[in-house]
Amino acid sequence: MFTKYKKSFYLFFITIGLYLSILLVMDLDINEKRPILNIFKSMQSDSALEVVDFSVEKQIIASKKPKPNPNRNPYYGDLHVHTKYSFDAYVFGITATPDDAYNYAKGQGIQHPLGYEMKLREPLDFYSVTDHGFYMGMIQAYADTSTDISKNEFAKPFHNVNRKDNLSVESAGERSNLFSNIVGAVITQPYPSWHPKIIKAWFTKNTQLALKSFDYDIHKSAWADIARSANEHNDPGNFTTFIGYEFTTSTDIEGGNLHRNVIFNSSEASIRPWTRVDSLNPEDLWTWQDALREKGIDTVSIPHNSNGSNGQMFEMESFLGNAIDQDYADKRMRNEPLVEITQVKGTSDTHPLLSPDDDWADFEIMDVRVGSRPPTYSKPSGGYVREAYLNGLTLEFTQQGNPYKFGLIGSSDTHTAAGAYDESNYWSKVGLLDGDAENRGSVPLAEENRERLEEYMSAFNQPQSTIALDQGDYANTGFTQWGASGLAVAWAEENTRDSIFNAFKRKETFATTGTRLAVRFFGGYDLSTIDLNSDNMVTEAYNKGVTMGADLLSKDENVPEFIVWAQKDKDGAPLQRVQIIKGWMDSISGRPNEKVFDVVCSDGLEVDATTHRCPDNGAKVNINDCSISSNVGSSELKTHWVDPEFNSSNKAFYYVRVLENPTCRWSTWDAVKRGYKPREDLHETIQERAWSSPIWYIPDPSNIEVIPLGGTVRLRSST
Amino acid sequence: MKLRILYFFLIGLFIYITDLGLNYDENKDIFISDQEITSLINAWESQVGRKPTGDEISRIINNLVNEEILYREAISLGLDKEDRIIKRRLAQKISFLKQESIIDKPTGDEIRSFYDLNKDRYYIYPTFTFTHHFFSNENNSLDRANQAILDINNNLIISSDVFFLGKNFAEINLQGIESNFGKGLNNAFNNPRLDKWIGPYESAFGHHLLYISDVSEGYHPEIKDIYKELEVDFIKLQREVAVDNFIKEVKAEYSVIINPDLKI
Repeated sequence: MFTKYKKSFYLFFITIGLYLSILLVMDLDINEKRPILNIFKSMQSDSALEVVDFSVEKQIIASKKPKPNPNRNPYYGDLHVHTKYSFDAYVFGITATPDDAYNYAKGQGIQHPLGYEMKLREPLDFYSVTDHGFYMGMIQAYADTSTDISKNEFAKPFHNVNRKDNLSVESAGERSNLFSNIVGAVITQPYPSWHPKIIKAWFTKNTQLALKSFDYDIHKSAWADIARSANEHNDPGNFTTFIGYEFTTSTDIEGGNLHRNVIFNSSEASIRPWTRVDSLNPEDLWTWQDALREKGIDTVSIPHNSNGSNGQMFEMESFLGNAIDQDYADKRMRNEPLVEITQVKGTSDTHPLLSPDDDWADFEIMDVRVGSRPPTYSKPSGGYVREAYLNGLTLEFTQQGNPYKFGLIGSSDTHTAAGAYDESNYWSKVGLLDGDAENRGSVPLAEENRERLEEYMSAFNQPQSTIALDQGDYANTGFTQWGASGLAVAWAEENTRDSIFNAFKRKETFATTGTRLAVRFFGGYDLSTIDLNSDNMVTEAYNKGVTMGADLLSKDENVPEFIVWAQKDKDGAPLQRVQIIKGWMDSISGRPNEKVFDVVCSDGLEVDATTHRCPDNGAKVNINDCSISSNVGSSELKTHWVDPEFNSSNKAFYYVRVLENPTCRWSTWDAVKRGYKPREDLHETIQERAWSSPIWYIPDPSNIEVIPLGGTVRLRSST
Repeated sequence: MKLRILYFFLIGLFIYITDLGLNYDENKDIFISDQEITSLINAWESQVGRKPTGDEISRIINNLVNEEILYREAISLGLDKEDRIIKRRLAQKISFLKQESIIDKPTGDEIRSFYDLNKDRYYIYPTFTFTHHFFSNENNSLDRANQAILDINNNLIISSDVFFLGKNFAEINLQGIESNFGKGLNNAFNNPRLDKWIGPYESAFGHHLLYISDVSEGYHPEIKDIYKELEVDFIKLQREVAVDNFIKEVKAEYSVIINPDLKI
């Protein structure tokens, strides 16, 4: 009787045994590194490296495509746009699709969740929908009660959150809580460790399969829809789109924001986005990008909101706390040639505490960590671009490579599918939460709105939600630190994916705060012989020098010469001045320095040779109606410039900052249009501006050998 | 024996008639499909991580039955009437259905009529090849431009400023010209005079004298040259307008009555 079942018993125990040993092996893999695991590892497949062709077949009519310009044109775009597929955009009441987003960029009006029309003054040249990769498409599925996944307990709070009768500011509390809960990872619980899905997740390197609340099919189809839309709207020669997404990672302990956008240069892309569920470590993202590049799929990732990273974005050590070395620097620069210096959530050029001598440093500063509840101060050091460039020089000085030699772009980070770049026509970023003037804090709150806001904001873990000022009680929820910014501009031969993407890789880009001013910047050794009034000037400058984003190698003791040329936005304010910001590393002391030089002033005014400052051009803003002085300021500014303090043995970088005459800030426009005075604790005006990518001056290698801290002491020429 | 069969038959008949009588005006059957039960069990399983036990399955089914009963009682009391949430949910649901039902590739005839209706979207705009003399408004642009056109007509050499976006523009359409210069130059390209210096025209940056050397006329491309694009756009449009079309189809059967005296 017993022997009859003996065989099945053995089989049963063998199966259990095998199962347990796989679990053991996985456990070892996760907690320790053992070479024997390679046997099992060879059985792993990497689901994130599967490439799918999302291309849409369209013929190109040659005559529709303008001729390429060898001297390159400035193309304006936005590489940071969220639609309904982002977990938070959907919670913010946004139901706009990627198609809506691209239609908006091409000049069509689309609807804000509060019902008004959002429309650009002039179409953009390129656009990329970059929804959060993490839980992409998932919240929308929770909210649509006809899907299976919505029947789960964790999905209940989302049910019909965007039903039409719920699209109101009154639902702000419910919405904010949903948002915090997701960030708080309430719904990211994994299956128990014995569950077969855990094994499947491990073997396909797809961690998200191990999460109970995750549905891979929905996730893939959201990503496929984003790729389809990008490819359908791409119109070579006239309008460029990029498949993209946001890698929304952060540091574990301090919640330091390490968000990056990943932009693809092809109609093909991976079958799914690589997300924070795969790894929180940006270095793993770069490994994945490297592997995709080997398969012929090129990408760049672009960090943003370094200002809200609590100093974690541009650290002097790696994510895991190891020393940065040449390999790290190379890998970072290979994958991250650009940084987003400005967007809705503030500007990351520099901070008044980091650059006390820069009179223009106090510009659109957002001083809290991204997404912190309650709002928590973000440490400036490590979060701003200029200091990062200097840190890069320091790391290079200590022989660790320079991981911070990036170019600059701006973008919006809008969550409404439509970027708000215009101070006089501003709808901020998060849909229902800041889509009207009262809730974003630019005009006083009506009494009933004040009570409601206080109630909701305490639910949102925001201890103080209003502030009493001269004209009444205002919302004080942090939206006042946000602004109508920014744009990415690429110098490219033509408006095609390849041409613009190559500009990203060359770093031949500049950032603006939403204005469409333009700037050229060249460095070289005999640029002063170029006639600034010659029609061949740009061609000659390209031939004789380097442009923004490039290295200028030393040439004996020669002093570099620069050409800078800026043109105003044809519909914007005139230019006030052009500055060159220099940062350098003293080759003897290893001490970083920075200095701001005005190089050309408006209205024919001269730069003071001692202070390096332009005199005041007298431009004024009328705060009662936002009109600006006419006939003050320039439509273009150009000059030759030679660094008066040049030292050929110091490593240095030079980038351009172009400043417009002052104009009303969005908060002033909001107030004026509604019959109020501007709120007294906010800047009434701003100076719209642009920043070029730097040109780096590379001296001859020094004969002083610096031993890296903690490094091994190595005697020079001991062999 | 025969009698027992007759009893059996009569009892059956009694039950049948009673049932018929009780259900005379409404159907009280609750039919639960296999699919519905398995989908619920799957959802339960993916949430909890294991198969439900017999008890749990019966609880799931009981909940479903209770929900169905409450739903039907609510309907029979007319609670669904005038409920905005229910209306919107149903409206949303039919919208999804309408949007998803179009997958067929359009036929050649459909593409042709689509093209005829949307011809303007595919119009290839005229392009212009021109060069220009620029006079910056930093430096007395209007006077210098006026003097320059006289000098050109007298075959004198003139000097102008260098323009940020370049001197020569090849095969550029009006939208491109507008985006580079603003609207001020548009007039020059309306029935342009070729191979002749004309102007001055004012842009946001100063004044310009133009020399237009070539115009390629705008045209409507052949269907075969843009067939794929039309196909893509056709399907896209169908997706977008599916709901509107459906409303249009049935709207005729409805009449809308609004109080004409309402003060808003």
